[in-house]
Amino acid sequence: MADESNGDQRRDGREVIARLADELLPVLIARLEASGLGELEVREDEWRVRLRRPQTNGATPPTGGPQVTAGLAAPSSESRQAVSRPERGRALVTSPAVGYFAPSDNLKVGSALRAGDVIGYIDVLGVRQEVVAPEAGTLARLEVETAQAVEYGQLIARVEPEARG
Amino acid sequence: MFGKVLIANRGEIALRIVRACHRLGITAVVAYSEADRDSRAVQLADEAICIGPAESRRSYLSASALISAAVVSGCEAIHPGYGFLAEDDTFADMTRAHGLTFIGPPAEVLERFASKAGTRTLLAEHGLPTIPGSPMLRDDAHALAEAERIGYPVLIKPSAGGGGKGMRMVRSMRELQQALTVCRSEALAAFGDDSLYLEKWIDENRHVEVQVVVDRYGNGVHVGERDCSVQRRHQKIIEEAPSPALDDGRREALAEGALRAVVAAGYENLGTLEFLVDRDGNYFFIEINCRIQVEHPVTEMLSGLDLVCEQLRIAAGEPLGYSQQDIALRGHAIEFRINAEDSDDGFRPQAGVIEHYVAPGGPGVRMDSHMYSGYDVPPYYDSLLGKLIVWGQDRPEAIARARVAFDELVVDGLTTNIGLHRALIAHRSFLDGEFTTNLLDRVGSAAFLAAARG
Repeated sequence: MADESNGDQRRDGREVIARLADELLPVLIARLEASGLGELEVREDEWRVRLRRPQTNGATPPTGGPQVTAGLAAPSSESRQAVSRPERGRALVTSPAVGYFAPSDNLKVGSALRAGDVIGYIDVLGVRQEVVAPEAGTLARLEVETAQAVEYGQLIARVEPEARG
Repeated sequence: MFGKVLIANRGEIALRIVRACHRLGITAVVAYSEADRDSRAVQLADEAICIGPAESRRSYLSASALISAAVVSGCEAIHPGYGFLAEDDTFADMTRAHGLTFIGPPAEVLERFASKAGTRTLLAEHGLPTIPGSPMLRDDAHALAEAERIGYPVLIKPSAGGGGKGMRMVRSMRELQQALTVCRSEALAAFGDDSLYLEKWIDENRHVEVQVVVDRYGNGVHVGERDCSVQRRHQKIIEEAPSPALDDGRREALAEGALRAVVAAGYENLGTLEFLVDRDGNYFFIEINCRIQVEHPVTEMLSGLDLVCEQLRIAAGEPLGYSQQDIALRGHAIEFRINAEDSDDGFRPQAGVIEHYVAPGGPGVRMDSHMYSGYDVPPYYDSLLGKLIVWGQDRPEAIARARVAFDELVVDGLTTNIGLHRALIAHRSFLDGEFTTNLLDRVGSAAFLAAARG
């Protein structure tokens, strides 16, 4: 579309963005924090706002619920994502969440993988959490089927690391 | 009734809920963190599903992990137990939004009773004498003004949670100013929420609470009271019923008033109304707990009701099916919380392997515990190892049975508070039924232990 005919629309767009930022975002952020969800999306007319919680270590922020702990914090080694562990030269890919597994498109045994490649998703209440290859290599075996329910830490796939020369 | 229920908790209460599910023919699915893989509840569950790492925020406090676990395992309902998300109206609301039933009060009922100040006002309108208190504190200046209005001494309390964290009694403006910062950081660390409020402190008070059971149709009963005056650092360690602090007239007035007020205010499911009782037997409502409580077995021993089964029945929409005159309370019951903690070292929580565990037995003795020989107590959660509950025709018989039971109970391998319990039940103040909530802290557990030894 020509720039000229779009001038008004763009100005309107900026106004909508400003309004969304002022009115909608604080509410959405509060709701996301209160919910414990990983992601929240709202549609209004042709606008779509999606908030995603940063997936850092120990990502889930407080949900405001009371806790029965004796005040002992988990050691930091426990708060890493359970995504890989070694096994006789093969890297094991485990599930980062409870949900349904879906492999990435075109993924098959023998696919070449780089470290960090997304090999699939866990659908957690409609929000997708990535399952990533822990290191470069080839996909040796998928241990779960499409749409299969998986628990946290469940074995998803085995990766044959690429030969180091 | 439900066919399959997810248990979103751990420890002894997860085990207690598994038992209730099995009694009702419900398939029990236990959601567990990586640290609880070898727990008794997981072993006895029909199915178990790992929801996250040891860290509570990513497992037992993660609403999405718990609800997703219920969805993928085909559960119809979630039982939240106590603590964690048990009274979280957002969690209850999310549970319902995913087509599942929350076993507890519905989200809007939890929301109505979520504010402590709001609940005090609401129940005062329905005739309950309430403790003077403040709304949520905005800042230090607000706190000082409210304390002045209420009158010292006052108790600083966190809005979220329980168990004594973030709580301090202060007698002056200077003490209040100093304590606010500490309480805020304690509350933030324990509950992720640093909002505080004030409550009038009554010297030499007793803690007495009323158990109510209310169905969806407004039918309710009270199941008497529990006296929870034996506390250390505002955390209950011994609970009993009936309360030695009340005569029968006040006992009845307290329980009936509590029931009338919550039913009128639209409460639903199991609930506990907590009161402070002063030296003269006057009682003041302080707060409501919208969940099953640690000390519920005391009431079960007296009434014969299975309170967890009642929660499940009410959440499934069943009518109560009995009324107040069907509730008969018999005898005297006492519960002792067995904690993995060192009474000689500031009640420091302990973790490690239980090398040898033998539960006591005999008439009137009940042990609710997830312990077993070889169980490795993880360091991440509450220090509660279980509860010894004794019943007798009267208080002296219950205490005598407690003494025998403690002689049988073996928990080897880590430090517990069993020694403190043995000392407490030998102490004159306990035998005379005259414990007040601050007695143990004022005298110090060392003095009780020393008195018992020599």
